Amino acid sequence: MAIFNLKNREIECKIVYYGPGRCGKTTNLEYIHKTFKKQVTGEMVSVNTEGDRTLYFDFLPMGLGQIKGCDVRVQLYTVPGQVQYRSTRKLVLMGVDAIVFVADSLEIRREKNMLSLKDLQDNLKEYNLSIFKIPLVMQYNKRDLANQGMPLMTIEQMEHDLNRQLKVPSFEASALSGQGVGVTLKECLKLTLKSLQKQTKWS
Amino acid sequence: MDIKQQIKTLIQEAELYRNQGLLKESKIKYNKILSLIKSNAQIKNKETLMTGITRKIVAIDNEILQLAKAPSVIEVPEKIQDLIKKQFAFAAKDEDSGAIEGAIALAKFGQFDRALKEFNLLLDKDAVRVVAAKNIIRCCMTHATVEDAVAEYEKWLSGDKFSSIQLNSVRSFLGDILAKKGITQTLSPVPENKSAADQGSAADEELPEEDYLDISAIKITLEDGPQKGKALEFDVNFQSGNVLSLIISCKDKSLIENLDVGLKLTNVQFFSPIAIFEGSGIIAEKTQIGTGPKSGDYSLDIKILSTN
Repeated sequence: MAIFNLKNREIECKIVYYGPGRCGKTTNLEYIHKTFKKQVTGEMVSVNTEGDRTLYFDFLPMGLGQIKGCDVRVQLYTVPGQVQYRSTRKLVLMGVDAIVFVADSLEIRREKNMLSLKDLQDNLKEYNLSIFKIPLVMQYNKRDLANQGMPLMTIEQMEHDLNRQLKVPSFEASALSGQGVGVTLKECLKLTLKSLQKQTKWS
Repeated sequence: MDIKQQIKTLIQEAELYRNQGLLKESKIKYNKILSLIKSNAQIKNKETLMTGITRKIVAIDNEILQLAKAPSVIEVPEKIQDLIKKQFAFAAKDEDSGAIEGAIALAKFGQFDRALKEFNLLLDKDAVRVVAAKNIIRCCMTHATVEDAVAEYEKWLSGDKFSSIQLNSVRSFLGDILAKKGITQTLSPVPENKSAADQGSAADEELPEEDYLDISAIKITLEDGPQKGKALEFDVNFQSGNVLSLIISCKDKSLIENLDVGLKLTNVQFFSPIAIFEGSGIIAEKTQIGTGPKSGDYSLDIKILSTN
């Protein structure tokens, strides 16, 4: 839940990039760090393990300017995608305001996407949050691999697998080149701010 | 597609998966290539090709092994520890409970040395002293040894920071853990009216431990597998709210295999310093410990689902 600091007139919200291992969550944040220099307010922090895999989280702070005289700060996080780090994912999710679910378009990762989405739902439930209610954006990453002849799932199939019930905004992306990264984040920020408006009853 | 083209496509896929870090997927493709080559008589240079592919598989196996060996907990730089403290201490009612939450966050992220330092500093604060002490004991149990935990208690006993009420609370907590571990060592008793600080409250018992009693051990009756019907007792090494962490020796292979993530445990007894109660739980996580004295053993997280 967003933190309101009335004394400093600050609002801090947390967006978490979730998804299976090696789907491109960190690559999303790296691209944002590189591209949205004006909005990025600090260094990107990454805690990696062997093979450049995220061990704890990546962290990137951003500023969105002022709304109603309050500074809006956004913290972007990624979770470790590997199955065995479930408790770390749960820890990172604590206090989350919105989620970007990064799905891997590679056909062979179909089941991993679905398991990760289920894991997200379960972890949210433990914080009394519903995957159907929290601001959520779906990103279908690695679309560029089709050019290399790799077997990818069609968007229709991914929508059917992951977004049939959720019906949240979804975007195709190639995080490595940055395609679709900005638009995913912008949509997520839009949903987050809308949700904040509801919480604070801003008009 | 002719066989040559088929193999070429598969190699391309296998290489890309490997570059993406999808090692198991890459290995599956290489094995498929190997079977294709083996079963096809028309392929020229069969032996050379097979040797090349086998080398690739061995290299991938090595990478997988390296990943498996990588520690699941690492000591991060102080700057990142500060970030963890700041960002993962939520809903703190005041400065002291905020500091406790920050230190607990450090422990949860495996930053035990720094967490211990922070908890030790918090022993100076009457309001959170017992919570800090219990967390020091938990850190010792997870990160160091039982002897270290006992030594901490003895040190507090001989000092004048703790009141009798506070020491009794810590003693009961530690004593219960020792008993469940089958360690017969008797903890030195707390003298009555130990110091003037005896007015120090034990109200800290009610401070932020997420409203769950401290569970020192649990007894699980298995309902399936080769040990069906057997009641097994485990000490709780770490507790975070309703999640209990246990250590299972790597020697208990069949038990480890039987206790899979997602398995519901409907017959569980929870032992706390003040009561024993029954309930159910679910295995939330199973991780092999990569470093330290318990390297090779398994850490099992059980989430309490209900209690009677």
